[in-house]
Amino acid sequence: MQILLAEDDRETAEFVEHGLGELGHTVLRAENGHDALHLATTEELDVIILDRMLPGLDGLAVLRRLRMAQIDAPVLLLTALGQIEDRVEGLEAGADDYLVKPFAFSELAARINALSRRRPLAPVTTELVVGSLRIDLLRRVVKRDDRVITLQPREFRLLEELMRNRERVVTRTMLLERVWGFHFDPQTNIVETHISRMRSKLNEGNKPDLIETVRGVGYRMADDV
Amino acid sequence: MMFSRRKGDGANWRKSAAYQIAFAYSAAFALGVALLGVMIFAAVHLAFIRELDASITGEATELLTEYRSDGPGELRDAIAQREAIPSRSRLLYAVFTPSGRRIVGSLQAPRPGLGLQDIIFRDRQEGPDPARGYAVDLPNGDRLLVAADREAVERADNTVISIFGLGFGAVALLGIVGALMLGSYLRRRLAAISVGANAIIAGDITRRMAVSGKDDEFDRLAGTLNTMLEQIERLLENLRQVSSDIAHDLRTPLAQLRNRLESELIAAELNSQDRPVLVDATRRVDEILSLFAAILRISEIESGQIRKRFEPVDLSSLATEIAESYAPALREGGRELDWSIEPELWLPGDRELIAQAIINLLENAQMHTPPGVPIHLNLSGARTDITVEVIDSGPGVRAEDRQRITRRFVRLDQSRSKSGHGLGLNLVEAIARLHGAKLVFADNHPGLVARLKFKRSAIKSTDSGARDGG
Repeated sequence: MQILLAEDDRETAEFVEHGLGELGHTVLRAENGHDALHLATTEELDVIILDRMLPGLDGLAVLRRLRMAQIDAPVLLLTALGQIEDRVEGLEAGADDYLVKPFAFSELAARINALSRRRPLAPVTTELVVGSLRIDLLRRVVKRDDRVITLQPREFRLLEELMRNRERVVTRTMLLERVWGFHFDPQTNIVETHISRMRSKLNEGNKPDLIETVRGVGYRMADDV
Repeated sequence: MMFSRRKGDGANWRKSAAYQIAFAYSAAFALGVALLGVMIFAAVHLAFIRELDASITGEATELLTEYRSDGPGELRDAIAQREAIPSRSRLLYAVFTPSGRRIVGSLQAPRPGLGLQDIIFRDRQEGPDPARGYAVDLPNGDRLLVAADREAVERADNTVISIFGLGFGAVALLGIVGALMLGSYLRRRLAAISVGANAIIAGDITRRMAVSGKDDEFDRLAGTLNTMLEQIERLLENLRQVSSDIAHDLRTPLAQLRNRLESELIAAELNSQDRPVLVDATRRVDEILSLFAAILRISEIESGQIRKRFEPVDLSSLATEIAESYAPALREGGRELDWSIEPELWLPGDRELIAQAIINLLENAQMHTPPGVPIHLNLSGARTDITVEVIDSGPGVRAEDRQRITRRFVRLDQSRSKSGHGLGLNLVEAIARLHGAKLVFADNHPGLVARLKFKRSAIKSTDSGARDGG
């Protein structure tokens, strides 16, 4: 993937660039808003990582101009503030995701992966399949082979999120945000409890586990072989 | 605080300095009028009596002179002549022998003593009647009595009494009306200040006292208070700024430290000896970062900015969602969560913050009770308020500590062995204040009741206040 990283803090930028490079991505760097805007309008980008506070033109202004210019590359906004106001403003300005600094690199990588998949917009899917597991999004039915599995609404949402991101790591905070709508970190690991309950329902009858736990990061849905 | 008690405001005059002052003032004024009345009455009365006395002594002297010059016959004629003139204010006459028999004049009275005196005579029409009399002895030993009916004096007295009675009544009435008006005016002006103060107590530090523009004492007081409030707000803002600046400034180096650790962790071999150290160091940095995040979040909540993003929140389904999500997690820790949630309870607010408040209370209950202790989540609505309760029957919190536990960094667990940064309940309280709600802790005998009480009306006014504010 070709990724634009607009970040003025050199140390953070190097850290991110290095990490993304390791994962095989190409990173273009901008240290101020004007450069970011220039690169975003001239280069073919899969994801834009935009710091909210950039010298010259601030991140939000860059974002608004990009959206006005019909550049719809997914944008991940970075902020050092972590304020509710900022997040709402960022999303209103057209950001696709939002990450508060400091972040774990694995968190950033997972989010970039999830974002890149969004483009081009997938045609409306009504069924998701991973191995022998399939869920019908319209009728909200979960089946493993031919056995119907009854899930609670929240477990269904959790499974849907994991299956939509099959083969990719979904972090705990991503699940908290997308399934529960919580942008804070409760001490109790409700994600873990839900996953473990769902897992035992899905794996009933000694079926191989479809949900891989990526330690310290999150979960990954993968085919059972 | 007297004026904050709205109930019985009008009725309880005894507890109102404003009414007391107003009433005392008008009572003093009425008393002054009464005193003036008494003095005028006495003066008028004495003047009339003196005039009567002058006219009867003068008449008696004149008659005595006539007697001396012309004899008893002339005196009799003179008296008869005077009595024949019909006049309302005419004088009354009598001459008594030493034995007490009346020999001249029509004044029916017993033989009097000498000099000026009050007498009672028998009026032909009215019966016994008081009069002012003057008696002198004639040279022949008879006694001449000249008297004047006191009717005129009584009439004057009555006039004075009725004028001042009416006057006093009018003054008293005006006084009462004036006192009520003045009292209610004073109370209104003071209430305006009290309303402002209460809004500030309720958490709206940007609120100021209303200034009427009359530039009177109340305006000057309000102005002084406003200056004081500005000063306090500035200090608070500084304090908030300092703590969030510290948290904010320390985050950057910590973030870099975290990045460094993470890079090392990625680079380290899976079985490297350094790994556990790196994992532990990362965890500790994360703890500090989450503490700073909590400080920043509290200061954002306390700034009240989020109020302008308030939207109707379905508290019932939010609480149900939280309960359903937390029950399995709590069960894993050996505690049963049950809940009773009234449907369709809505509040204007921030859904996520309310969720965080409820979750913090649940986590607090979980953290401070031994496994096996059941936890209840209640949501109930009354006409004026909506109450969220998290109830446990664990060891509870001593009454003297209940006020303290919402303060920043206060942890009753002295050893600090349990995890947590001591900001959880402080955050809940900040969220409560933002929503015009109150966080109260009570005894569950045994255990603790954490109660979030949202006022339905307070939220509306807070909401509109925030919108007015921008």
